[in-house]
Amino acid sequence: MDIGGEHQIPAAREAVWRALNDADILRRAIPGCEELEKISDTEFNARITAKIGPVKARFKARIQLEDMDPPASYTLTGEGQGGVAGFAKGAAKVRLLDQGEGASVLKYEAEMRVGGKIAQVGSRLVRGAARKTAAGFFANFVAILGESAYGKP
Amino acid sequence: MYDFNYHRPASATDAAAARKAAADGVYLAGGMTLLPTLKQRLARNSDVVDLAAAGLAGIGRDGGTITIGAMSTHDSVATSSEVQSAIPALAALAGGIGDPQVRNRGTIGGSIANADPAADYPAAVLGLNATVHTDRRDIKAGDFFTGMFETALDDGELITKVTFPVPAAAAYAKFANLASRYAIVGVMAAKTGDGIRVAVTGAAGNAFRATAMEQALAGDFSAAALDGISVDADYNSDIHASAEYRRHLVGVMAKRAVGEIA
Repeated sequence: MDIGGEHQIPAAREAVWRALNDADILRRAIPGCEELEKISDTEFNARITAKIGPVKARFKARIQLEDMDPPASYTLTGEGQGGVAGFAKGAAKVRLLDQGEGASVLKYEAEMRVGGKIAQVGSRLVRGAARKTAAGFFANFVAILGESAYGKP
Repeated sequence: MYDFNYHRPASATDAAAARKAAADGVYLAGGMTLLPTLKQRLARNSDVVDLAAAGLAGIGRDGGTITIGAMSTHDSVATSSEVQSAIPALAALAGGIGDPQVRNRGTIGGSIANADPAADYPAAVLGLNATVHTDRRDIKAGDFFTGMFETALDDGELITKVTFPVPAAAAYAKFANLASRYAIVGVMAAKTGDGIRVAVTGAAGNAFRATAMEQALAGDFSAAALDGISVDADYNSDIHASAEYRRHLVGVMAKRAVGEIA
């Protein structure tokens, strides 16, 4: 399953890049993220609660940043274990384009897979849920950038 | 299934109180989605508040309005003589949900509170310009469905009934998944006091109105008026149908529904 998108961000590319590597901003932006712990500059451990309708599953996730090319792109890979609910894993190629005048465009292409019960009972919903989660992340991310010092030149 | 505290309140007020007192409570209507979820251990609610005895079932007509209690089963709507005579399209829609087991357990309130993207009732609520009544307020159809499994309902807010203004004419056409009878795409077309309405379910994250079709039908209410209109939406794509196929089906189902009326 592949999803992708493009978002206008009213902040300079360097500021967006710093924010994309900031554990606190990521924690606030990732929908359902309860905890995000920075292990190293490129590794995070997270606890995320995913909610789709009546289904509520807690995932323990490991997130890694690879192919770092600051401030232009990186690849984010993640793997989450949800206990009886199943697992999810995926990778997202994230690119930042400088639009000048303190504005940038973020593009991402992601592929993800889910397995276990959550895939068995909810296969028709997984893509919609993934897209909703991605949209929620970017909406939160843009909002946080707007209110924090990151957005200022 | 994990353990939970079971409540069976005798009124909507008691139900809301039980739900409010619970750490992580959930209302149980017909249980057609909630019970499989609990059995699979995909949810772990501390308390389940069963609405079966809360006095929320019942169907009535008051002039130009059909009122359906939240706990009315699909079968009771499908077989109601009042619904059949006032809004036959609504009775037919209810009669086409799931299988007999689902129709005898599942409820209108449960269906719209759950807001499954492939459920039939959202097309009726939106297409017939219904009002959703809760224990706190009245919510217009256009404000109710906000996303995939998401509604305007606040935490703990309880649907008590749904009121449908009787339309001049209405028809529902759906392309059903043959196993579940869920709508891969379903379209409700109606001539209402509020103008022509065309509502689509199954196609995107939540039910929506096809305004381009409504405008075309306002000038010429015929299936031919829909020729060449492609409805833009954030279409679902899954193992049952691609986004392109769903887009195509919206046109086909809308023409069938309009053709039934015109």
